[in-house]
Amino acid sequence: MAEKPFESSSSSESSPILLASSMDTTPLRKLLHGISEFVVSSSTCGKKTAATRGRRILHRDVEREEFQYGGGGSGGGGGGGHCLSSYYSVFVARLAIMVMLAILIGLLTVLTWHFTKVYTTKSLNTLAFGLRYELLQRPILRMWNILNSTSEITTAQVKLSEYVIRRYSKPTNQAEQVELYEMMKDITWALFASRKALNAITINYKNGFVQAFHRDHRSNNTFYIYSDLANYSISSTESYHNEMLSSRKGWNDQFIHGNVSAIWYRQPLDPVTGEKKGKPSQIPPDDLINIAGPSQVPDGVASWHVSVSKYTDSPLLSAALPVWDATNTNIVAVVGVTTALFSVGQLMKELVEVHSGYIYLTSQQGYLLATSTNAPLLKNTTKGPKLMMAVDSDDRVIRMGAQWLQEAYGNKFPPGHVVHVEKANLGGQHYYIDSFFLNLTRLPMVGVIIIPRKYIMGKVDERALKTLVILISASVCILVIGCVCILILTNGVSKEMKLRAELISHLDARRRAEASSNYKSQFLANMSHELRTPMAAVIGLLDILICDDCLTNEQYAMVTQIRKCSTALLRLLNNILDLSKVESGKLVLEEAEFDLGRELEGLVDMFSVQCINHNVETVLDLSDDIPKVVRGDSARVVQVFANLISNSIKFTTSGHIVLRGWCENPNVCSDSGKFSPDQKKPLSALKTKLKQHGNHTKKAGKKDNKMILWFEVDDTGCGIDRSKWESVFESFEQADPSTTRTHGGTGLGLCIVRTLVNKMGGEIKVVKKNGPGTLMRLFLLLSTPADGVEQQGRIDFSKHSVAVILALHGSMGRMTMLKWLSKNGVPTLEASEWNELTQILHELFHARTLDSGFDTHYSLAEPMRSKVQSLQEMKNSVYIIVVDLGLLDLSTNIWKEQLNFLDKFSGLVKFAWMLNHDTSNAIKMELRRKGHILMVNKPLYKAKMLHILEAVIKESYVEPQNRSPNGTKGTSKEGDSHECLEIDSTQFETCSSDDSDETAGASSISSVHIREESREGTILKSSPSTLRNCLVEFTRLGLDQCNTRPKLHNTEDIKPENPDSPEQPSVRSNAKDRITNEPKSLQGLRILLAEDTPVLQRVATIMLEKMGAVVIAVGDGVQAVEALNSVLDNDNEHRNNQVETEICDSPPYDLILMDCQMPMMDGYEATKAIRKLEERTGWHIPIVALTAHAMSSDKEKCLKVGMDAYLTKPIDYKLMVSTILSLTKQSSP
Amino acid sequence: MDLVQLQRQLVDYRTSLYHEGFLDEQFTQLQSLQDENNPDFVVEVVSLFFEDSERLLNELSKALEQQVIDFKRMDAQVHQLKGSSSSIGAHRVQKLCIVFRNYCEAQNVEGCLKCLQQVKHEYGIIKTKLESMFQLEQQILNAGGSIPV
Repeated sequence: MAEKPFESSSSSESSPILLASSMDTTPLRKLLHGISEFVVSSSTCGKKTAATRGRRILHRDVEREEFQYGGGGSGGGGGGGHCLSSYYSVFVARLAIMVMLAILIGLLTVLTWHFTKVYTTKSLNTLAFGLRYELLQRPILRMWNILNSTSEITTAQVKLSEYVIRRYSKPTNQAEQVELYEMMKDITWALFASRKALNAITINYKNGFVQAFHRDHRSNNTFYIYSDLANYSISSTESYHNEMLSSRKGWNDQFIHGNVSAIWYRQPLDPVTGEKKGKPSQIPPDDLINIAGPSQVPDGVASWHVSVSKYTDSPLLSAALPVWDATNTNIVAVVGVTTALFSVGQLMKELVEVHSGYIYLTSQQGYLLATSTNAPLLKNTTKGPKLMMAVDSDDRVIRMGAQWLQEAYGNKFPPGHVVHVEKANLGGQHYYIDSFFLNLTRLPMVGVIIIPRKYIMGKVDERALKTLVILISASVCILVIGCVCILILTNGVSKEMKLRAELISHLDARRRAEASSNYKSQFLANMSHELRTPMAAVIGLLDILICDDCLTNEQYAMVTQIRKCSTALLRLLNNILDLSKVESGKLVLEEAEFDLGRELEGLVDMFSVQCINHNVETVLDLSDDIPKVVRGDSARVVQVFANLISNSIKFTTSGHIVLRGWCENPNVCSDSGKFSPDQKKPLSALKTKLKQHGNHTKKAGKKDNKMILWFEVDDTGCGIDRSKWESVFESFEQADPSTTRTHGGTGLGLCIVRTLVNKMGGEIKVVKKNGPGTLMRLFLLLSTPADGVEQQGRIDFSKHSVAVILALHGSMGRMTMLKWLSKNGVPTLEASEWNELTQILHELFHARTLDSGFDTHYSLAEPMRSKVQSLQEMKNSVYIIVVDLGLLDLSTNIWKEQLNFLDKFSGLVKFAWMLNHDTSNAIKMELRRKGHILMVNKPLYKAKMLHILEAVIKESYVEPQNRSPNGTKGTSKEGDSHECLEIDSTQFETCSSDDSDETAGASSISSVHIREESREGTILKSSPSTLRNCLVEFTRLGLDQCNTRPKLHNTEDIKPENPDSPEQPSVRSNAKDRITNEPKSLQGLRILLAEDTPVLQRVATIMLEKMGAVVIAVGDGVQAVEALNSVLDNDNEHRNNQVETEICDSPPYDLILMDCQMPMMDGYEATKAIRKLEERTGWHIPIVALTAHAMSSDKEKCLKVGMDAYLTKPIDYKLMVSTILSLTKQSSP
Repeated sequence: MDLVQLQRQLVDYRTSLYHEGFLDEQFTQLQSLQDENNPDFVVEVVSLFFEDSERLLNELSKALEQQVIDFKRMDAQVHQLKGSSSSIGAHRVQKLCIVFRNYCEAQNVEGCLKCLQQVKHEYGIIKTKLESMFQLEQQILNAGGSIPV
């Protein structure tokens, strides 16, 4: 099977194969032959099936191979054509390897077989040849011996006969004649008896008398045979002699056979003694043995021949010698000796018994003389037994051997008749045939030995065959396995290659995609300025337009609509830009301290307005352990929560939205107190815990002030399907596509949230929630300032015996507040509606409620009652009732009566009113009139509550100051805070800028919020620095005049556009007011303007001069530095000359406006130089950068070199003024 | 000519300038800065702009004719042009300057040349437009009228 493709191969790779096949052709042929011969049917079938099985396994390969070799097989190669083209190279490689393997294995097999077989055969053959030679030599030797002994006997007989006949030569009478014969008989007997092997001795006298001894080996009898003496006359001897002389030929035959008249007698003898045992009996001539006559010695020399007799079944060897007379001229008698060749046959048989095989001797003519078999050597014919030719032998093998020899050599035997044939095929079997020639003068003989090959080489052949079969099957197996292995290996390799190629292409594609996405992001990031500026312009212009009084209502509506759309567009733009900024890696998070709690409170304030319309409650639930001040990017943190909350609001139609926050701290978290602090825990334990916590944070702050802050935004909206929990954070992804219609939005919000959160080292995910809605949980990694983690000086409320009654609508907020209060040791009661409140009041102040018109039949639940009672027991306690304005029935006029009812308790309790943002002025007025001065806007959260409590406590101490217009309230923290109620919001803005730039974003948010709420809110919350103190409003009627400010609501939709210039919109409107009110706001300021572009220089100069500032303009950075330097030098002189330190104290310029890109020396360099100069003096002249770049990185760069603020070109008039004001205010108040 | 008609013509003309994007709100701001103290402020600034721009444009043309083009310097010049044009509110020129700068950054000579041509073209247009507007204003002033805002 294996060599088939080799032989049939014709493709390019076939040359080595052909070589190999031609090299191996003979052994392979033999092999094939041997196999086909040996394995007849069954095993061949088995092999075929095995082969077909192998074929099936290697089906594909075989097909390919066949295809490759040009249809060497069964022509199934056409099918694989199409795949061939694609995998051509792989196939070629595979095939080459397989072919190599096949060649190797084939060679190995053949060589192994050859070496094992050939050498054995050779040595065995040598041995076998010796054996055969030896075997044949022995019967031939025996033959030789027999011949020798026969000839010896004959010669002895002749010599004796000669001697006797000479003695009795010329017998004269009958008596002498008889005596002679008697003598001869004795002598002959002696000789005959001495040789047992002799068959017969005959003496034929000249006169025709015959004496013979004969031994019948079969019957073991010995006979003496003689002719009738009476018939012979001595006289006839002479004539006979003469006759003989004249014509010797024909004498004897005539004499013996023709002489029918002669009477023959046979006398049995004792074989040992030779004595006569019986009477001589006459025998017919037929029974005569061979008697040598003169005819057999025609030349007078010895003659040999082979004869047969009917007494023995083996051929006889006869020798005849003449007996000469004394003169040696006449033959007087002929002596014949006959020996049976039986013993040779016997020897042969013995030999053959030991070594198998056949031996036979033939005469040169081919007559069989002796064989090793029992087959008869003679054939009976009508004329008696005759010698048989070897080719006619009864024995099959001998016959066939003889025939084979005859066929092979015919009559032309090689010289010496020596033939050695190793593989003669006789009747389907192999034999060794060897023949030797025994060249006797008269009787040449040929010995042939036939030994079956099986006897000598049988085992070898068998072994060789077995070895071959095993070798071939092993080779085939190895080949098959090897091919399969190669196939698998190359398959694996090619698969791996393919996969690798795919992977590479994928990576490539991904890289390209990333690159292109990066380009996009960068493009967008670069475009930020170009995109935002026009939008800002559009919105600003629209604002101006809206302010215009001459618009018709329709126009106004349209413009408002445009305004809204623009705002939406700007928001979208901001989102996209934010995202791209983050993606392009341009977003740099600021690292500044900010008050996290305050930011979030502002956020909740802002959103609660939106929520109230939706009938959704917004609750802020920050745990106490959250550090007050953290470091980070406040604007971004706020953005995260703003996005999350606005998202929640979008999907929540009723219920609540809770923003929870807690700090990851093993101490605090372990009691799982974040949501439900254990109320039963003793207060002291809680306090120690807090203390511990404080210590802990302090310690942590020293080592590593990073903190993990956890937040949750929990809403009761429609919820998000579990499968979308991950994908909602992808770009442009909303949980339900249909929501886009109902809720709007771009789906960018959450994506921005996640990128921002990730950027801040946190994570965000949606977590499982009990009940409807969504619960988003995130953590941020914010650092706390190393030094500023001291716990706020908190009033210990438990000492002040304060009790709170929470009469609020929203259950969530109420509950949260309740928990917090209880945790801090403030006994609390809760009421969710008016009736409940009255009930509690009734219980608490029993006497008073009797005359209440609102007395109810409504009894309190048992636990509440017990609580009330426990409250009652607290003596001298201050009761604070936090009343939601919504509890009052505002739809009708009942609320006034309700107020009246509550008024009755005013002496006993303090009321704190929770106002809605849209609470009408009338109600507020009424409340104030009634003396309810504690009013806060919804929602109620920790800080507000804290301030209510603080206020009440302080009030209770400083009673008289309470109602003074400039109420000192809780504002002792900042000396100027009493002003804050009067200064307008612009100043708050500037204040905030003074504070730190980083809080600008937050302040802008709150300032946005300002406009959404009523005027009080505006003032109270506008400035983060004063927010805390203003949260609680001590109502002063005088404040109402502030409410008259018009148009502020118009900007309510303005969002912080950009952290770079967050104040822009809010300040703009304020500045606008300012411009109209006090045009010379920059009066007296000296400003150095460094600007190279003449146009800009001129414009800026005019702008500033219009504001009353003194402007010194220079053309580049060098001039700017020089201008300062010269003043400084002058200044130094001044100092030398004058004692007056007025100029010394104040820098030459109040402010420097610095263009960033200038020839000679750019703004950055100039700033650095100026700052260096300043080192000597200790001044800090505010430097404001003017640049056309809008990126945050530019801002960063500006601030880094020591500039204080940053303005973009084209110069926005109002923004510039406000910036300058904020900066100069600090340095020159 | 009728004063009122002249005034209306001026207003229309100015509106069209805004409308077609030749001018933007910066010009409005510029105008608002003009008062009794600086009666010719706008004209002054605009002529400053003309001078500066012509200088810059000449330099740019020269720079582009050079064998070795100093793109960095060109970039700075275009930046200046952009600054001054944005300051007077020459909106189209400013826009073109942005494109021009991109080409400068990319060191694209052809793009720069094309942009320079466009900038020159736009500059020519805004110059004529502004000049004719000033002429109108002058006419109105001469006729004893006041310039409508």
